[in-house]
Amino acid sequence: MATTAPRAGAFPSPYEIETPPGCEGWEEMYPYYALFDERRREIDENRFWFWNSMHFPMPMPAFDVICIDSPYQAVGAWQNRVFAVPPAMGIDYRCVNGYIYISGNPVTDPAKIAERAEFFQQRAGYYFGNWTELYGKWRAKMEALIGELGELQVPDLPEYEPDEVAFGEDRNTAFYEVLDAYPRALRLGDLMWQHHFEFLLLGYGAYGTFVEFCKSQLPDIPDQHIAQMVAGIDVLLFRPDAELRRLARLAIATGVDEAFQQGRTPHEIDAELQNSDAGKSWLDELEKVKDPWFNMATGDGLYHYYRSWLDDPSIPYASLIGHISALNAGEQIDRPTEEIQRERDRLATEYGALLDAESRKSFDDLLNLSRTVFPYVEEHKFFCDYWFLTRWWNKIREFGALLARSGFLEDAEDVFQLSRYEVASALDELVLTWATGGLPLGPKHWPPIVARRKEILKKLGDWTPPPAIGVTPEAVTDPMTIMLWGVTTERVQEWARQQDGGSVLNGAAASPGVIEGVARVVRSVDQIGDVRDGEILVCGSTSPAWAPIFSKIKATVTDVGGVMSHAAIVAREYGLPAVVGTGRATAAIHTGQTIRVDGTEGTVTLL
Amino acid sequence: MTEYIRPLEQLSRNDEPNFGGKSANLGELLAADIPVPPGFAISTEAFRAFIHDAGLEKRIGSALSGVSAGDVDAIGRASRAISEAMRFAPIPAAVREQIGDYYGELGEDSPPVAVRSSAVGEDSQDATFAGQQETYLWVRGTEHVCDAIRDCWVSLYSPPAISYRARLRDREAQPAMGVTVQIMVDAEVSGVMFTCNPVSGDPSMVAINSSWGLGLAVVGGEVTPDDFLVSKVTREIVREHIHPKQVQYVPDPAGMGAIRVSIDGDRREARSLEPADLERLVDVARRIERYFGCHQDIEWALPRGETERVLVVQTRPVTAVPNKTEKPKPASAMSLIMSTFGAGPPKD
Repeated sequence: MATTAPRAGAFPSPYEIETPPGCEGWEEMYPYYALFDERRREIDENRFWFWNSMHFPMPMPAFDVICIDSPYQAVGAWQNRVFAVPPAMGIDYRCVNGYIYISGNPVTDPAKIAERAEFFQQRAGYYFGNWTELYGKWRAKMEALIGELGELQVPDLPEYEPDEVAFGEDRNTAFYEVLDAYPRALRLGDLMWQHHFEFLLLGYGAYGTFVEFCKSQLPDIPDQHIAQMVAGIDVLLFRPDAELRRLARLAIATGVDEAFQQGRTPHEIDAELQNSDAGKSWLDELEKVKDPWFNMATGDGLYHYYRSWLDDPSIPYASLIGHISALNAGEQIDRPTEEIQRERDRLATEYGALLDAESRKSFDDLLNLSRTVFPYVEEHKFFCDYWFLTRWWNKIREFGALLARSGFLEDAEDVFQLSRYEVASALDELVLTWATGGLPLGPKHWPPIVARRKEILKKLGDWTPPPAIGVTPEAVTDPMTIMLWGVTTERVQEWARQQDGGSVLNGAAASPGVIEGVARVVRSVDQIGDVRDGEILVCGSTSPAWAPIFSKIKATVTDVGGVMSHAAIVAREYGLPAVVGTGRATAAIHTGQTIRVDGTEGTVTLL
Repeated sequence: MTEYIRPLEQLSRNDEPNFGGKSANLGELLAADIPVPPGFAISTEAFRAFIHDAGLEKRIGSALSGVSAGDVDAIGRASRAISEAMRFAPIPAAVREQIGDYYGELGEDSPPVAVRSSAVGEDSQDATFAGQQETYLWVRGTEHVCDAIRDCWVSLYSPPAISYRARLRDREAQPAMGVTVQIMVDAEVSGVMFTCNPVSGDPSMVAINSSWGLGLAVVGGEVTPDDFLVSKVTREIVREHIHPKQVQYVPDPAGMGAIRVSIDGDRREARSLEPADLERLVDVARRIERYFGCHQDIEWALPRGETERVLVVQTRPVTAVPNKTEKPKPASAMSLIMSTFGAGPPKD
């Protein structure tokens, strides 16, 4: 891979990462401020940056960068300027070989943190206290915004303006309409992102607190069980499939189910349905369902290539075919909501009963609040990421089509290879030459740029980004980084260890705690007299005969044994970290070597 | 009349001072309808009669004088002197006779039994640590049972036991011990389970370790056992690690004792418990936990050829649960949320 060797115990410097062969000039796709620039090297090189592979797993097409800028503008505005989350401002991002690395901006001044805490407690408290009412208003706002996006027209450029322009009042010519519509489309996107993040931090924060609380009290509880206790029963996101199940039953009841044959395209199925009255009325029923329930995305992500069911009905039609054949085979296809409800309540009751009374109260309160905020956590994706965003990308495609009709692009889809500023520039020239009748340069200018960028993106897709770059932080303290990305101190240390390679032994985490010290390798019981105070015992296994030395040592590592082996039990009695069953500790470690025993994670690091 | 022996089913936790924790707990398990192999318990009176009749008090006292906890060599010398004296002392006739009677009632043809020490008092709580868990497996015939019982008594003066009592500054007190004699099953699979995760402290999990053959291999840490974590709430296997199991203990074909044999072929890598076995074990674990009202450390065995039967051979309270101070102090939901955002009361 084209990364330089990492510095010892650290990640590669962002300034030393090489461009993969054939991708020279990738920087031109991205805004100047998105790059690791020499002029701020001293600061950027000494920060910790991690790859946001959760939201941006693929190299960014130039236009899609707007889905980095707007979200980070919006999340920072709410987090930093509205709620004033005490220790964390917003998130900076940088682009390396097309991949997005992020880093939180911490607040370190205690006085400032205290000042912000007052804002936060008041403002967040207001939101939590009025959640259901505020969220109701939010939904109305989002539906209005989606309506506004639908009404936004992308004008064509006619040979002659219609009579209305000549004879009517308050009419604009097409050049103005185009130049007006494009930034309006961009602004509607910004507004969506603003709404998107209004509740997000608080919603995730309440839920995340419940998750953390569960894990502190019940450290091994599967994440799935926590989610099951909170998840809503009658959730918007389940509606699309519920509608498909209803339509499947309708198709059988009206005798048109035979049209839904495995292997047929949606188009072929529609064509057959058009042949009968029953088929036509089924299609009418489908039309009623499509808005809004077909505004689901075919993939989960922020890239332009995730389309909606409306654009690509192959997914819902495949579901229809599956539901119909299941029903005809006598199977039950309904979501067993009563059972889900029972199981959700049973889990909550049984887990709650395992806690002591005080913890039980916190558990119940956090669970109730999580259930209150969860509709937003689940539903904002439908409103924002699916419904709005798929339609918004389509609106941008309309501008692409406009450019393509005049030869500025070979295909409407190519619009996403230009940055939003470049699109604005191309539209400027387009309406200019439309107005003047002059010869546009765009058709010669843009297509080669688009072709080159497609080639670069394809090659960048083969490059593997390191999980983190810059310096290794001592600890990750940014609550947003931990909450939204799960990037914790332990995770970063694990990444750093992987960069080091080879010097870590894994075993069972037998007794918690982390300690560093000098190893004493003892191969048989008659060597135990050699053990000195404060050493770490490394041995094959221990038996009761070893008891006298446990008061001397400060940790133990064994080759064999499980968490209930003698060494493990005694180590827990003495409160010593222990890792057992490493397989090769006595071979890999020699007496006198400094090692770190992590009895919580089950790792032994040779230092 | 001095009571030397009682059947397990007649014991309850009140008998712990006279019969030791292991025997008393087995009596409780039987009262709770948990399947436990039949057997009988030797009281501490029998041990005292043995020491007294053989006139051993003085020898023990002088051997131990001046021994300190950290002095490995001195402890070894004291242990050797006491053990030798005890091994050559006879078991009182009255005790020996009763052992023969109760053993005979366990079955014809010298049935194989396990003979285990059953520690009393403070030792009982910390016995896992001290290693005073002497076990003799597949013992047959009254003579051998008597020898094994005496060996258990001798283990009270093993080096770790002496060291442990010295650490407690308790060497003046006269220690005593009960012994459990219990019919032995030829286990196809055996192991240990905790009614919580002993590492994380999670009370919603049953942690199960298992391996092939008799329980010695797992308890003694001679194999890295298969390791399962099973949810009490949903019975699902939350984590499992199947390890290669190199050795197992099986009854010696010669008729007495257990031998260590290597495990070869596919069986070494094979999982020793199926999901259905785990479910049965979890059910037993929950019943025992409910009955005792606290977390338990349970030894169990699945008999060869009828592995659907779970037999419990021992249970005791979990001795060390991880430090609870790591858990956040209970607080109101809102203040916990505020601290998620760094706006709460300072974390300590």
